[in-house]
Amino acid sequence: MNTSPLLEISGLKTHFFLDEGTVKAVEGADLMVQHGTTVGIVGESGCGKSVTAYSILQLVESPGKIVAGKILWQRPEATGGDLLDLAALKPNSREIHAIRGGEIAMIFQEPLTSLSPIHTIGDQIVEAIRLHRPVSQEEARRQAVQMLQRVGIPRPEERLDNYPFQLSGGMRQRAMIAMALSCHPSLLIADEPTTALDVTTQAQILELMSELQNDFGMSILLITHNLGVVAEMCDQVVVMYLGQVVEQADTVTLFNDPKHPYTQALMRSIPKIGQRRRGRLDPIKGMVPDPYNRPHGCCFHPRCDKFVPGLCDQQEPPLRKLKSGGMVRCVLYGE
Amino acid sequence: MRSYILRRILAMIPTLFLASIVAFVIIQLPPGDFATAYVAGLAANGDIVSQEALESLRADYGLNEPVAVQYFKWMGGILTRGDYGISFEHREPVSALIWERIWLTMWLSLVSVLLTWLIAFPIGIYSAVRQYSAGDYIFTLIGFFGVSIPAFLVALVLMYLQFKYFGKVASGLFSDEFVAAAWSWARIQDLLAHLWLPALILGLGGTAELIRILRANLLDELRKPYVITARAKGLPEWKAILKYPVRMALNPFVSTLGWILPSLISGSIILSQVMNLPTTGPLLLRSLQSQDMYLAGSMILVLSVATVIGTLVSDILLALLDPRIRYQ
Repeated sequence: MNTSPLLEISGLKTHFFLDEGTVKAVEGADLMVQHGTTVGIVGESGCGKSVTAYSILQLVESPGKIVAGKILWQRPEATGGDLLDLAALKPNSREIHAIRGGEIAMIFQEPLTSLSPIHTIGDQIVEAIRLHRPVSQEEARRQAVQMLQRVGIPRPEERLDNYPFQLSGGMRQRAMIAMALSCHPSLLIADEPTTALDVTTQAQILELMSELQNDFGMSILLITHNLGVVAEMCDQVVVMYLGQVVEQADTVTLFNDPKHPYTQALMRSIPKIGQRRRGRLDPIKGMVPDPYNRPHGCCFHPRCDKFVPGLCDQQEPPLRKLKSGGMVRCVLYGE
Repeated sequence: MRSYILRRILAMIPTLFLASIVAFVIIQLPPGDFATAYVAGLAANGDIVSQEALESLRADYGLNEPVAVQYFKWMGGILTRGDYGISFEHREPVSALIWERIWLTMWLSLVSVLLTWLIAFPIGIYSAVRQYSAGDYIFTLIGFFGVSIPAFLVALVLMYLQFKYFGKVASGLFSDEFVAAAWSWARIQDLLAHLWLPALILGLGGTAELIRILRANLLDELRKPYVITARAKGLPEWKAILKYPVRMALNPFVSTLGWILPSLISGSIILSQVMNLPTTGPLLLRSLQSQDMYLAGSMILVLSVATVIGTLVSDILLALLDPRIRYQ
């Protein structure tokens, strides 16, 4: 078994150059995805989790740009098995086109707007298959039917000729997953795949994703702000705040023993059944800072209840490795 | 789809009926009738027409009958015999006067629409995909000129330039030897050689407008999530753009078919006068001035039929293009 990670992101910085100033959407993201595992990225809106995911596939649009860092991708045996730095590829190069959809696939939050409303489901899946596989139209169609069946869409042959607006939300997301997995990628990036769905459908889609992961042996990078989803799905969790990874740990450790004050505050803000203390939630104090003016030093210090004056507001702490195997970016955990 | 087309065709019947009534009523609206306009014209030249002669003229043309009777006689003639009545002024059957002009107007409009599309399509896409580039600014500038300068002015300038530097008179749709000739291959070639310039001038405003519409629509579509999906699939950039957002932004191109025809016809009246084009414009204008009611009414009727059919064709094309319309 291959022990080197499937995907290793180090020191990634993706900035948006706007007239009003530079938005440092990702300012130091480090994470690792091992073969066959699920890694969750959690954080508030605007913390850079989606931009990190888009950076992997070079999908960040102008005026956004990857300015630093490495995204090392272990290519599958079939395509050479070499180690490739995706951050160094050009957004419109042949290599990245082969990787997008072929080796790394992506599904999105809103399956209605993420599928073209005027092309049939079949058209869009067949297109994905034929982009990466040298198969005939008929063979691609046969594979598409198989995929739809595999993701639990009833009467797949008929559904293939349906348009997205003729399907329910859950069915649309299933079709989206079928399209993403049609070329058997080794990594599936799921950008809030269940946010737009109702709770029952959410559970079904998550269950489907775990099932498919077992079948296809792929890894999943799950982007979400739902800690419940993380607890259910992920082996590893990465917590992001203001474009930085502030903590990384395996899921059990993170939930039982969160290290970073931000993670601790996140955990306190989850409503729990049966634990009605005074019936009030404990939100994180303050607001997410203005993206044009990042706080000096540790970017969480204005909201941190363990803030050490003269230290936290002076220098930015590095991401340190812990004995437990996780990593944390906080001055409280040093040598 | 078949029932959709059938429904639309059935809906055309009341529309056309109403259009014919409106066409007929509009010509009745100005005070007086053809006889008074005719007499006034003669009087301006110093001729005196007796009251009896005026009355016999009215009786001959059936102008004394109630409007409703006149309308049903006229419509009856059209529906049963294809007889559009006679032109009072030209003393000829209307159908002999209008058909060639109507065909030429249709051709001019069609060529104009095609040229509009051919020019607007690539420029619109370029302007949206390379928003705020130098090329986008240049095309935007040209586009604003196109929208704001009236077509007849452009025509005058081009005619002047063509006369001054090439010694040619860019006037009419045929060379002298073909004006009265029967239709032949040579005449069609001659027509095409003359047609492109007025068609281009006529389409100028529409082209500029369509570029702006396509650019705005495409800019909206380019930001939609399905474009990212297309890219994330591994489609090369130009393929992803042409297959998805451009397809979505195409709707206004097809919709133009319906409304471009009436606007071209009304816009072409001045241009036709300036460039001496044998289209319906000048004839319609003249017939309205002289209250030549069957001639004017027939032309308005035929043009509204053309507009309604144009709208139908554009609606059917839209339904073919966009399944969300088809399945409603």
